[in-house]
Amino acid sequence: MQPAIRIELESEITNHRLEKWAEEARTWLGVQVESIEEVQVYKIQPHHAANDGEIISKMHNVFVDPTLQTLHTKDGKYTFNGRQPSFVAEISFRPGVTDNPARSAAEAFSLVGIDADVASGSLYFMFGDIDKKGAEKIAQELFSNTLIQKAEVWAADNFYKMDRFDSIALPKVELSSTPQIMEVSLDLDDTGLEALSKNRCLALTVDELKHIRDYYSKPDIQVSRKSKKLPINPTDVEIEILAQSWSEHCKHKIFSAKIDYQDASGEKQTIDSLYRTYIKGATSEIEKERKLDWLISVFSDNAGIVRFDEKIDLCIKVETHNSPSALDPYGGALTGILGVNRDILGCGMGARPIANTDVFCFAPPDMPKTGEEKYMPDGPKSPRRVLEGVHRGVENGGNKSGIPTINGAFFFDRDYAGKPLVFVGTVGAMPHTLPDGRPSSAKELSSGDRIMMVGGAIGADGIHGATFSSLELNDDAPATAVQIGDPLTQKRVTDFLLEARDLGLYSTLTDNGAGGLSSSVGEMAIISNGASLDLALCPVKYPGLSAWELMVSESQERMTFAVPPSHAASFLNLAKKHGVDATDIGDFNNSGKLTVFYDGKLAAELELKFMHDSLPQMELTAEWTGSKHRSAWSPTTALNEAKEPLPANIESILIKLLSSPNITSKEKWVRSYDHEVQAATHQKPFIGKYSDGVSDAGVIWLYPHGGDKDNGIAIGCGLAPRLSLIDPYLMAQFAVDEAVRNVVASGGDPDMCCLLDNFCWPDPVVSAKNPEGAYKLGQLVRACRGLYDICKDYGTPLVSGKDSMKNDFRGADRRGQEIAISVLPTLLITAMSRVPMGTTVGSDFKDKGDLIYLLGKSGAQGLDGSEFSCYFETESMAPSIDSNKNMMLYRKLHIALKQSLVKSMHDVSEGGLLVAFVESMIGGRLGAELFMDNNEKDFVDACFNEAPGRFIVSIALKQQAAFEEALSGCDILKIGCVTEDAQISFKGSHSIPLKILVQAWQKGF
Amino acid sequence: MTKKNPLFLVMAGDGINCERETAAALELAEATAKIVHINDLMETPQMLADAQGLAIPGGFSFGDELGSGQILALKIRHRLGDAFFKMVEDKKPVIGICNGFQVLVKLGLLPFPSDPSRKLALASNESGRFIDKWVTLNVNPKSVCLWTKDLPFDSFELPIRHGEGRIVFRKGQEDAIYQTLVKQGLIPLTYTENVNGSYGRIAALTDPSGMVLGLMPHPEAFVSQRTYKKTGRQSEGDGLLIFKNIVGILKN
Repeated sequence: MQPAIRIELESEITNHRLEKWAEEARTWLGVQVESIEEVQVYKIQPHHAANDGEIISKMHNVFVDPTLQTLHTKDGKYTFNGRQPSFVAEISFRPGVTDNPARSAAEAFSLVGIDADVASGSLYFMFGDIDKKGAEKIAQELFSNTLIQKAEVWAADNFYKMDRFDSIALPKVELSSTPQIMEVSLDLDDTGLEALSKNRCLALTVDELKHIRDYYSKPDIQVSRKSKKLPINPTDVEIEILAQSWSEHCKHKIFSAKIDYQDASGEKQTIDSLYRTYIKGATSEIEKERKLDWLISVFSDNAGIVRFDEKIDLCIKVETHNSPSALDPYGGALTGILGVNRDILGCGMGARPIANTDVFCFAPPDMPKTGEEKYMPDGPKSPRRVLEGVHRGVENGGNKSGIPTINGAFFFDRDYAGKPLVFVGTVGAMPHTLPDGRPSSAKELSSGDRIMMVGGAIGADGIHGATFSSLELNDDAPATAVQIGDPLTQKRVTDFLLEARDLGLYSTLTDNGAGGLSSSVGEMAIISNGASLDLALCPVKYPGLSAWELMVSESQERMTFAVPPSHAASFLNLAKKHGVDATDIGDFNNSGKLTVFYDGKLAAELELKFMHDSLPQMELTAEWTGSKHRSAWSPTTALNEAKEPLPANIESILIKLLSSPNITSKEKWVRSYDHEVQAATHQKPFIGKYSDGVSDAGVIWLYPHGGDKDNGIAIGCGLAPRLSLIDPYLMAQFAVDEAVRNVVASGGDPDMCCLLDNFCWPDPVVSAKNPEGAYKLGQLVRACRGLYDICKDYGTPLVSGKDSMKNDFRGADRRGQEIAISVLPTLLITAMSRVPMGTTVGSDFKDKGDLIYLLGKSGAQGLDGSEFSCYFETESMAPSIDSNKNMMLYRKLHIALKQSLVKSMHDVSEGGLLVAFVESMIGGRLGAELFMDNNEKDFVDACFNEAPGRFIVSIALKQQAAFEEALSGCDILKIGCVTEDAQISFKGSHSIPLKILVQAWQKGF
Repeated sequence: MTKKNPLFLVMAGDGINCERETAAALELAEATAKIVHINDLMETPQMLADAQGLAIPGGFSFGDELGSGQILALKIRHRLGDAFFKMVEDKKPVIGICNGFQVLVKLGLLPFPSDPSRKLALASNESGRFIDKWVTLNVNPKSVCLWTKDLPFDSFELPIRHGEGRIVFRKGQEDAIYQTLVKQGLIPLTYTENVNGSYGRIAALTDPSGMVLGLMPHPEAFVSQRTYKKTGRQSEGDGLLIFKNIVGILKN
């Protein structure tokens, strides 16, 4: 065989990203590197012998842009304009990790007639007076993620002494074991069962394992298994399928559990499933009471489907990807966004993704501050690295898929230092009916349909994705826990899927998400009541994977289709045209069973009834004993900076808030997301005179997606995790209100608005190591009740949701002392609402002389839970909510918008009234007079409380009467007017120049 | 009676992702737009000969790996080859938007189709980041470009959405190449401010025939005021005029 070749590509032009990294290394890692240079590395193993000269010439062809690069195939002593690097780092992927540049390079080689394996990597040359430890720190924290990449560091002299162009080895997965199907004995005592669950990463309880054991000891099952030469005990394939199907991730056992709940007053209640009682319950009651005809499919498919348009249906789904993002922020976020895209692709008969959303809950980006380092949890990545990585993942995931990222939020709190929360959402569009007349929202298939696996090949990546492999990663083992998404493969699958859908080539489809084939085929099999497949037919990334691994691997970019035999050939041909792998792996039938073969040998046979419907309901206890204030896990920093905020300090308070991470402009980050590809984004993330003001929600025009000409949708979100410390009931209500207000402020019709709930909770199951479990479940009950009540009051149905239940960190801090950090109980609400085009006015003030109103309750309402309270001491009281009054306001406002009575509209949220007021000023770069007296007693509370249900709007002076008439019966207060003077002035004669406010707000992080 | 609408092929597949809005813009400009997968073109290159024009839309072909546009250019050169280059030789209109522009440059079709040596490239933005932003473009009235000929304004706005849009020239030849481009009228559009570090604030390039246009901003994203940077009413967007221009020339 031709020996492998190493090439290095030197850049001819300055790479400005490297300047940023050098700065990051100095600022965040404390390593005084002067500068960094990068050289790209490719290792190429041609499959056939070829002439060296020919290969080199073809490599020039494939890799080199002569204006930008120089190719090196030997020597490779770099001059760097005479500067001497001190250290060199080489970063390469570990075996089995998705290597997108290499995959593309291999494709490029095949275009010039060379078949080859390729691996990619990078060399980084570090300049300046740093030591090896510093160089290693940069290599491991900035250049690589050591879970998926190898980082080798040399002193520059030693590096050049090696002959790195000789004896080249590509990373290769070597699996030593020969795959065979094993019997898993359940003939064990409780300790044994527990150990089995732990060792195999099954995440099944002892009771669940006993339930399986009971099933296998039934005489009829034993007879049946004997006749088929299956072992009496489950096979490894069977036990793994059951573990996947019954995982918290797939089955939502906590939300389905029977809960004995006791509240603070001692009142007791038994709740038979939070999900059925409060989530689904709210929706079905609302649907009935309001006689809604636009709920097409809720809680049954991958995503909720609603009808806000005469021509197209919309589907929407929001997912979390917290654990993967904690381990590898980039890969975790990237696979998260691509994963939720697949939920949409696999919704109904397949929908086109038209918009993405993303919400991050992180620890503050400047954490740990100097002096705090020791108190950081040891293990999780620093908040800054999490932020950078997740941001890049969402950017690549959306941009490379051609899906605009139109809405999102950043929320910072120290309690996310143990586990970051990453919410990713996608909206899809599909015609009401397909060209052949079938409704797009239906999911049907027939016995006899072929099972087609489409997309990437299977590797060990993502096996036990939800629980993480307990095995340590080393050079020879494939990285199983962390995955990198491949947007190109998924884009090809998307193009293929939508063409195949419109050609009527398949019966139905679903995505391969958690649980891999086990879940996708297992769930589709319910429709025909059976399925049979042979795992040996699946394409693999490398040999040696066991049958059970093939069955549960979560290797990305895969979809499962049911294809009528008559269309199988056309289906496979179309896939080929799109450069998409598609493989026929079995058929759907009506046997009542999921049957799995490996190379013709029976590996698993499970009754669908047992798999899906036999699991006994979990029984849990919950208690609510009133609010327990934050037990800050870091003792060093006082939470509050100022004891008694005075009205006279209004300027410094305002500046503090405007520049705080939760409020400051995120433009630097958000502009890296393509927010207008597909050419349908009506309201962008930034608006106003200089396109740098905030918008409350993204608005998509539906016409370019096949919808009505004057129709759009607004997507907004709301969350209020800090209120969980006071009462999760209130937290849930504030989250709903904020999400609804965001879309209403953007022209959304409050009567055509649907919601999604995403719960991210600390472990709510009480146990020895989690004694607070019952309280955390009590908090969950409170949140669900709050959610139910306000959904009923607002008449807004929940159409889809998801929960993530183990968001805790238990370990040591960097001093080695024990530490437990739980995330704030967090409920993200996403709202999608119909927008009649022309009602979106933006949050920015438009013209001088316009009147400014505060809509909703005014005056002091309590500062607890506010952004203000993070910096200043407050009286302990949180604002209340009047949902009926709110909804009346939203309805009337929507009519006023349709009558063009409103010129700007902005919801009052983080920071309170004054921050919203200033944001509208910044958007329009106009001054304003505020008719509030900064000498009054309640001034500070009135300015900074975060009471729900409120907006700042501006209207033309001549519309005053019509506007006030339109909102009759609502709380409205004329609080100011727009001026030309570039400042905000208060009635008490104080004023602050706009320039200072803009500067504070644009501080960023 | 207007002439039959000219047929434009809009290339798709392999990570291209703006084909639908590009086709919609061409249709609005009264062309017939047909979205074709590049693999279909490879199978039936005659489609190129039968079409009056071609658009290579924006996107992330091959995930931007090995440099934006690099692999798609390689695929076009090695798999479509003559059929593709003949369109340019025959002076049929070809537009490359964003990633499509990068492809045309990597193919050596811009700015001088007759000179295969590559003199310039689109490098990563000075900021080191992808950026989505509306920019103001100056129209060069002296440009030979037929797509931007006689636009009814001196400047207009379009969004840019790219990570690699900075024009750089071969080292040491910067000024000479730039002066040639200026002299021959090959720079139809420039940014009014420095948005990505592009040499001479170049936003677009044409070939000496004026029929090939490559540009980083997205004209197909502004064919309606509904998608303007401020929420607008339903009326025509300025980007549409670029497509109308070329369709008008083909029809007359």
